[in-house]
Amino acid sequence: MLELFVAMKHIRTRKRQTALAMGAVGLAVAIIIVFRAVMNGSIEIFFDLIFELAPHALVLPKEGEEYIYLYKTLIEFIWTIPGVAAVSPTLSTTATLSFEDEVENVELTGGIPSEMNKVMSLDKYMIVGDFYAISSGRRVILGEGVMEKLDVKIGEDVVANFPDAKTMNLVVAGVFRTGIEEWDQGAYVSLETTQEFLGEGDVINYINIHLDDPYQGDAVAEEISARGYDADSWRTLFPEFEETLAFETFSNNLILALVLLIASFGIANVMNMLVLEKTREIGMLMAMGADGPSIRKVFVIESGILGLAGGTAGSLFGYIVSTYLHSLQYTITAPTAPQPIVIKFLVDPFDLIAFPLLALILSMIAGVYPAHKASKLDPVIALRG
Amino acid sequence: MSNIIEIKKLRKVYGDGVELVALDDVDLTIEEGEVLAIVGPSGSGKSTLLNMIGLLDTPSGGEIWLKGQNITKASPKERARLRNKELGFIFQYHHLLPEFTAVENVMMPLLIAGMDKKEARHRAITLLEEVGLGDRLNNRPNQLSGGQNQRVAVARALAGHPSIVIGDEPTGNLDSKSSDMIYELLRKLNREMNQTFILVTHDMDMAEKTDRILRLVDGRIVCEMRREGDEFVSRDICRAD
Repeated sequence: MLELFVAMKHIRTRKRQTALAMGAVGLAVAIIIVFRAVMNGSIEIFFDLIFELAPHALVLPKEGEEYIYLYKTLIEFIWTIPGVAAVSPTLSTTATLSFEDEVENVELTGGIPSEMNKVMSLDKYMIVGDFYAISSGRRVILGEGVMEKLDVKIGEDVVANFPDAKTMNLVVAGVFRTGIEEWDQGAYVSLETTQEFLGEGDVINYINIHLDDPYQGDAVAEEISARGYDADSWRTLFPEFEETLAFETFSNNLILALVLLIASFGIANVMNMLVLEKTREIGMLMAMGADGPSIRKVFVIESGILGLAGGTAGSLFGYIVSTYLHSLQYTITAPTAPQPIVIKFLVDPFDLIAFPLLALILSMIAGVYPAHKASKLDPVIALRG
Repeated sequence: MSNIIEIKKLRKVYGDGVELVALDDVDLTIEEGEVLAIVGPSGSGKSTLLNMIGLLDTPSGGEIWLKGQNITKASPKERARLRNKELGFIFQYHHLLPEFTAVENVMMPLLIAGMDKKEARHRAITLLEEVGLGDRLNNRPNQLSGGQNQRVAVARALAGHPSIVIGDEPTGNLDSKSSDMIYELLRKLNREMNQTFILVTHDMDMAEKTDRILRLVDGRIVCEMRREGDEFVSRDICRAD
């Protein structure tokens, strides 16, 4: 094809201009790839944290009931659903904890320690003591916030009471810190302890479920709902996670699109200069019988090639940089986070193809105006230069 | 011989406010196989006339017929097609594409016509050999002398077997030796292929080697001389200017 032949010749012989145009687009695409890789990485870190600590699905009592009474049958059923990784029957209530002169209202959560740990990974967040200590006796694990407010030490007794509840002494067996303030205001005991505290018998008020794939939460919740229980997935429980994320992703992508747009202006500029520089030759091509559409095609194809080549090089470069940065295992520490966070650079293979293609399209659009200008040249004037 | 070009009352007026008449009711008939020189002072309308015949410019009035077809109001697409098929151009500056080699430059009109690359290359090589540049096929214009580049331009103008070759000061930039060589080349091709040559020139030596000389002054043909043997004979009364 004539147009491709001419366009390729320009690209090959005008090395500096080609490098400039490709460099602008390539750099933009590389930045986008790396930026999105770190975005994907932090989303994964964020969701890992959420999925570690939050229920994937939560079962509440039937409508009009305060507790789940026949919870053992229900748990048996839940275990039959494929993909279920942990089922934690829980009885939680508000309790007033007091130590000497200090008093604090907390959410007192009772569960089976091994299952409870599977759905909340609390043992990972223990600062002092062992999470499994609550398995026997009247022991309690306190969030760091509660601990500080009550000004209590390990091994000391706190008093738990509440209207209609049995007053009991609990030995402080450990402290945890998740970094999430709300959770660090909680206290954990065994299921038997809360059952005794409330005096309602062998009942629970919710079941916290973890799944192999958290994204199956909706399906699992639906199956349990069919049995008359009020079951929800993390999606419905915490819609703000995905909303926040969607907004973040949108605003980031907007910035990235602008980066690419600016780069394609670089191509428009190079093409514009090319058309000015090539006026006589365009006139000669017209004299030889090349018509307007054909001239236009030369320049649109040329900007397209520059965009695609630059975009592909940038994509490759971005991938290499991301992979390298990922391999560094660079860590950051947040003041509230219990453990340093390893920054991840996760490249989505889709990006590696999509952004060079986007660069191609934007560059072709950028080339349209200079190409149109070239095609509209009057051959007589063009030949004069 | 049949008429390849017929021009009737051709006018070209430039400018919006102050009008400049570049061509003033020109009537002209050109026969197939003729070698015609158009001479005249600068600004006399020579190049304008040539651009009209070359379908690069459109007239303000009158008609142009090419091979019996009225092409005065042909669409840009049709004019481009005719330029490619019927016309070859040689300019004062060779206007070769600087990135392309000699052979690629000569291939260009053929590629525009849609010819297969291999076939076009073959034809281009033949032509370059004919103009004596068989050993310069892969040189770019900046690696060739002015005369050599102009020979490449001649080969390019002839590549598509045009029926008319238009030369706007084709030797204007060359020394006399190169000029003679280019002219001899054109003349040879004219004899071999019966192509029509229309040349605008300042060079009276060259003009006097053609078949017919037209003198243009102020957009009008003021003198027409035809060769008869070794002599030029005025058809009309030629005004002295």
